[in-house]
Amino acid sequence: MIHDSLIRERLVTGDKTAADVTRDITRPILNQPTKSWKIGFTLSLIFLGIFGISLFNTIWTGIGVWNINKTVMWGWDITNFVFWVGIGHAGTLISAVLLLFRQKWRMSINRSAEAMTIFAVVCAAMFPVFHMGRVWVGYWALPLPNAFGSLWVNFNSPLLWDVFAISTYFSVSLLFWYIGLIPDIATIRDKVKTKTAKFWYGFFSMGWTGSTRTWARYELISLILAGLSTPLVLSVHTIVSTDFATSIVPGWHTTIFPPYFVAGAIFSGFGMVATLLIVARKVMNYENYITIGHLEAMTKIIMVTGSIVGIAYLTEFFIAWYSGVEYEQYAFINRATGPYWWAYWSMMSCNLIAPQVFWFKWARTTPWFIFIMSIVVNVGMWFERFVIIVTSLHRDYLPSSWVMYSGSLTEIGLFLGTFGIFFTCFFLFAKYMPVINMAEVKTILRNRE
Amino acid sequence: MSNNIKYWKGEEELNRDASFIAAQKNEFNEALPLEEVLSEDGFELNSNRRDFLKYFGFSVTAVTLAACYKTKVRYAVPYLVKPEDITPGVANYFRSTCGGCSVSCGIEVKVREGRPIKVDGNPDSVISNGGLCASGQASILSLYDTERLANPLSKGAEVTDWTKMDADIVAELKAIQTAGGKIALVSGSINSPSTLKAIESFKTVYPTTEHVSYDAVSYNGMLNANLADFGKRALPRYNFEKAKTVVSFGADFLGTWLSPVEFTKGYTKHRIPTVEGGMSIHIQFESSLSMTGTNADYRFPMQSSRELAYVTTLYNAIARASGAKEVAVPTNSELAGNSIEKAAKALLAQKGSSIVISGSNNVEVQKVINATNALLNNYGSTIDMVNSSNQFKGDDTAMNNTLNGLKNGSISAVIFYNANPVFNHNKEWSVAISKAKLSVSFSQSKDETAAVCGYVCPDNHYLESWSDAEPVNGVFHFTQPTISNVFNTRQAQESLLSWANALPSTDGDTLKAKGILSQKPHAAAFYLFIKNNWMAKFGSDEAFNKALEMGIYQEAPLSSVSAYAGNLASVAEAAMKSSKSTGIDLVLYQSVGMRDGASGNNPWLYELPDSVSKVCWDNYVALPKSLAEKLNIAEDDTVNIEVNGIKLNNVPALIQPGQANNTVSLAVGFGRTHAGKVGGSVEKGFKSVGVNAFNFVNPTDRNYVIGDVKISKGDETYHLAQTQTHHSIEGRDIVRESTFAAWQKNPKAGNDKAKTHVYTIWEKRDYRKDGSPNHLWAMAIDLNACTGCGSCVVSCSIENNVPVVGRDEIRLRREMHWIRIDRYYSFANTHKDQFEGANYITREKQIAEVDSQDKGEFAHWENVNVIHQPMMCQHCAAAPCESVCPVLATTHSSEGLNQMTYNRCIGTKYCGNNCPYKVRRFNWFRYNDNDAFDFHFNNPLGKMVINPDVTVRTRGVMEKCSFCVQRIQEGKLKAKRDGKSPNEVEVKTACQKACPSNAIVFGDLHNENSEVSKLYKNERGFGVLEELNVQSSVMYMTKIRNTENI
Repeated sequence: MIHDSLIRERLVTGDKTAADVTRDITRPILNQPTKSWKIGFTLSLIFLGIFGISLFNTIWTGIGVWNINKTVMWGWDITNFVFWVGIGHAGTLISAVLLLFRQKWRMSINRSAEAMTIFAVVCAAMFPVFHMGRVWVGYWALPLPNAFGSLWVNFNSPLLWDVFAISTYFSVSLLFWYIGLIPDIATIRDKVKTKTAKFWYGFFSMGWTGSTRTWARYELISLILAGLSTPLVLSVHTIVSTDFATSIVPGWHTTIFPPYFVAGAIFSGFGMVATLLIVARKVMNYENYITIGHLEAMTKIIMVTGSIVGIAYLTEFFIAWYSGVEYEQYAFINRATGPYWWAYWSMMSCNLIAPQVFWFKWARTTPWFIFIMSIVVNVGMWFERFVIIVTSLHRDYLPSSWVMYSGSLTEIGLFLGTFGIFFTCFFLFAKYMPVINMAEVKTILRNRE
Repeated sequence: MSNNIKYWKGEEELNRDASFIAAQKNEFNEALPLEEVLSEDGFELNSNRRDFLKYFGFSVTAVTLAACYKTKVRYAVPYLVKPEDITPGVANYFRSTCGGCSVSCGIEVKVREGRPIKVDGNPDSVISNGGLCASGQASILSLYDTERLANPLSKGAEVTDWTKMDADIVAELKAIQTAGGKIALVSGSINSPSTLKAIESFKTVYPTTEHVSYDAVSYNGMLNANLADFGKRALPRYNFEKAKTVVSFGADFLGTWLSPVEFTKGYTKHRIPTVEGGMSIHIQFESSLSMTGTNADYRFPMQSSRELAYVTTLYNAIARASGAKEVAVPTNSELAGNSIEKAAKALLAQKGSSIVISGSNNVEVQKVINATNALLNNYGSTIDMVNSSNQFKGDDTAMNNTLNGLKNGSISAVIFYNANPVFNHNKEWSVAISKAKLSVSFSQSKDETAAVCGYVCPDNHYLESWSDAEPVNGVFHFTQPTISNVFNTRQAQESLLSWANALPSTDGDTLKAKGILSQKPHAAAFYLFIKNNWMAKFGSDEAFNKALEMGIYQEAPLSSVSAYAGNLASVAEAAMKSSKSTGIDLVLYQSVGMRDGASGNNPWLYELPDSVSKVCWDNYVALPKSLAEKLNIAEDDTVNIEVNGIKLNNVPALIQPGQANNTVSLAVGFGRTHAGKVGGSVEKGFKSVGVNAFNFVNPTDRNYVIGDVKISKGDETYHLAQTQTHHSIEGRDIVRESTFAAWQKNPKAGNDKAKTHVYTIWEKRDYRKDGSPNHLWAMAIDLNACTGCGSCVVSCSIENNVPVVGRDEIRLRREMHWIRIDRYYSFANTHKDQFEGANYITREKQIAEVDSQDKGEFAHWENVNVIHQPMMCQHCAAAPCESVCPVLATTHSSEGLNQMTYNRCIGTKYCGNNCPYKVRRFNWFRYNDNDAFDFHFNNPLGKMVINPDVTVRTRGVMEKCSFCVQRIQEGKLKAKRDGKSPNEVEVKTACQKACPSNAIVFGDLHNENSEVSKLYKNERGFGVLEELNVQSSVMYMTKIRNTENI
């Protein structure tokens, strides 16, 4: 028996029926692209072009077109890598962890969050691949059998762990996303008119019939994939953090990194989800599906993870002092008061201080304000990675090698360019795929007890 | 008529059974034997004839298409007739003499397959003692310089035929001779007896010839003082190895003054503290912070224009103690803290084993110095005026007379040998030369002087030449060619002799008939000339060849004492005058790498960071902090500087700790306008590197200290390329130091092992068990010996094919040097009540605090302590770089080396980040064959210098010091071939070999008796960043300063 709960707020507002859901959500797919979509897509393509030019310059001329140097050998590249991987965390968290915890509000945002994850991981992967001096032999980082006898990869190296962690995360996320899409693709298949569209949606729906048996299997595979992805949410950024934590660079060599990085990743991931969804719900008229309730839930997560990250920052400082290691102590004092103080204080104010506004109900429920804050969060998180990477490296053990570093035009171009990749993918996704999981949303039109 | 007869092939056809009918449908129903041919083991092709045709057709087409691609033809030409003494892959070594400057150090040249590729000191030479300076090291590249003249020039046009050149020049010389015109032969200092004899031969034919020599950086004052005091116009030979107290007034004797390699070797002898020998005291008074000043125990800033007053004060103090007559000095002739008085005390304590020197070119100053040394009984012990030096003997008066003679037409012809006066003497030379009827230059390239000469007869590079040298009386070095002429050049001596028609015949038959040569090879004319000169002394071919082989021949030194007979009558008045100087002094100096600018097209020397400031690729005005504050000059600003109406605008400025207040310094030797693509060329449109400070020198007195200069802030900004931009050590335990007094009480003084807490759960690696039982390579570096000269840096670059990257890349902090010399300043703590009463402060924040308290004088900036620390890959046993490489491109060898496999490297750069010593270098670009790096790696001639034993790295890979693994391998193979035990393997790394002070010792820790094993037991030994437990293989020896004994 189905009846509405009297206590709980509705997850989907506007008294939508199942037919409304299908109509609303397939609208962009079945109709011609809107003007705002066209503008957005063109802008994305321009940024994609910037990426192409910057990448060509890097590969053709050499990594020397960047400004990294003998002391700071990782700069914007790895900063951007960690930034994008971090963003890629929310999707899996929403779809897998919240699924396991039966958080039904996730249903209207998980699809786009997962898509965001995949695109963010693609952006992230650009940097470790193309920061290699000889990218054309980059495949040597894979444990491939070869003709060189016992030549093998170094399983001690965190960079190798990265290779495994990121590729696993990417493939599982992709699979999870795709499996979730199948029922919706089938819906679209039944609605589209053109032959090509029929063929492709038909192909990707894999013969979905909607029978009880397929539904049962669908539910099961979703649960299994959720189970598989949940540890990945924690493992990916843990392993990314070991890129730093296993080194001996003061400011990197920190055991707090894994949880601190994971918290930061979720923080930035939710920031990015909020940014995208606030725009999407407005432009695509999905206010009834992505409700203020959703935004409020996300702001709470942002605030909690932001505070965790903030506590990690303070803990680092305390431990640096407590360790009695002068290099460690200097690294942290230098972060706060050295030549890159502005980066540190940008990070502190964006990540630790700013999210505290979400203690106030108004802040949690005002979309335009959340939008600004979500951007602030991601600016802060970019600076966090810059602070960790650049300010730790630029003054390490021997003062004779201390340097300053600032990104070159090509490095900036590559960073802006990844937004081109990200948004190009996202616009295509919004045009050709249902942004909201129709099948699942239909199950929560009424609050069931 | 139809034929109904049926023929059948067999029963099957007759019976028409099913299997036959089925088989008949297949036209070729039998497998072809081809199958058997192709189906050999591992090559199974189940093919029939059609398949065969398909494969065949495809293969032929594919091969044809592939063959259409035009591949680069590479030639590997074997010896048709192999020279007897060349084994491909094995180097030959020849002793010779360095032609980098007129000091004439003995060298050993490494030649591979006919190409000289490395120059090192000749261990048997008493001048170089096996070491060599950076300039000398780099001089090999001048041989492969594309800017060298390929042919002689006649009125600007290339002539390939020397006979025609000779005919033209001889005709002109003869005409001038007949008209009674004078001929001037202007040269740098020449200490080659045979060359001087060749000049004499020239003079006999052209008797109106006058030979004038001058030095780019003049020693005229000293020479004239010696003439007045000893009756001999010569520089003495200094025996620093006998000196226990050294007082130097502005003489950079370890870097550029007179014979620095020789002096470094001698000086170092007493710088390493020993129980028996003690330790010498070195006191330096100077304006600019010279490399020598950085090594002094006491360094007192002084205003150089008042130097005469100061040296006289020193003389007076010693005279007082010795009962000699004092000279009146103006008041205020003592420096802060009675430092001159202190210096006098230290000198008096070591009477007869001390040295007082001055870098001044002022004759009065040098007279006082002579008198001081005479009072201290130094002549005959530490200073040898009898067996004097021939390294510098230029005569400025004669030089100026020649210039005037040319200007007023009394001299008709001028010949320049090893001289570039337009650049380094006086600009007026270019006008004067154009007035001469005949002007000839022997310059190897079209330099500033050659550009205005009528004829240029390019001299050979010294590695292509025969010659001899007598740097010090009784010490002879020999120069022999190590390669046949690269270009159509001819030795200057041969040119002179041929114009005098005195060239020995080189005809093989004649020589053989005369018995001069046993065989009939090609013989250089000047070789015969030299041999002829020396046969009188040697008597036999064997003795001559032996001398050539050793590279040195010594005569017993004369033992008579040259008596000091000077007087200081003229000093008092001059001292009074000098003390009146109130303005700002400009002190011109030579930088340790570039020296006088003769090697102005050598990229290695430009890329070598200055020993003190670590600036590359420019000269700059070094300002004291007080003046910078006054003029509001900060980093990257420029200054305008004006001296007697000569003005240089927007010269880059550098705030130099240690620079005396009211003085500024500027290096000479930069600002070449006709050096070439590297150093600058007006003709070819390459910008000069730096500014020419020789322009400021007054050609009459050639004083390098110029008073009352006008200095103001420039309009432009300029970012200097520096390899080190943070100069204080931040109180870190990276360099350990102590004082001699403390060391005497406790040899572990300053080297407190308790400071490093190393806790580890891992066992230390036992190389004898797990690795090689034979070798464990390690290095020891004595910070007391290292002077910071940078010779090792250049030597390493040559040995290991380290690319030159240029100014812009160094600005981006991307120098490629595998070894660098870290230099740290510590500032005098002028506020003892603060900072725990430390004598010196090393933290950025403390320095800034004192800056704000001591505005105006900035005494803490003037009084700095300096330390040099060579830094290269430490070959850690627990290397942080090795564990993080994803592809195992950097690994550990069983003999303790941290190896880099370039071919495996994919360029993640993680190893570089994780190296606590920051010694890993990344190939940001392709540095070879890339015209964006237009130095020597992009042309076939420049590439001749590449060491074939070391890979030239490609773009995108990491590189670093390998402990010269190629030399280790060579040493091991040699020992094995000769049946020696592993303990007898002899390996010297390139840096070690170059070091003039033997600061670097490399060897095998598994050999108990090796020098490095002994040093590892030394109480002064410490490892940098030991507390990280990376277990480095480089041991540093605590720096001991002798600062408590005066």
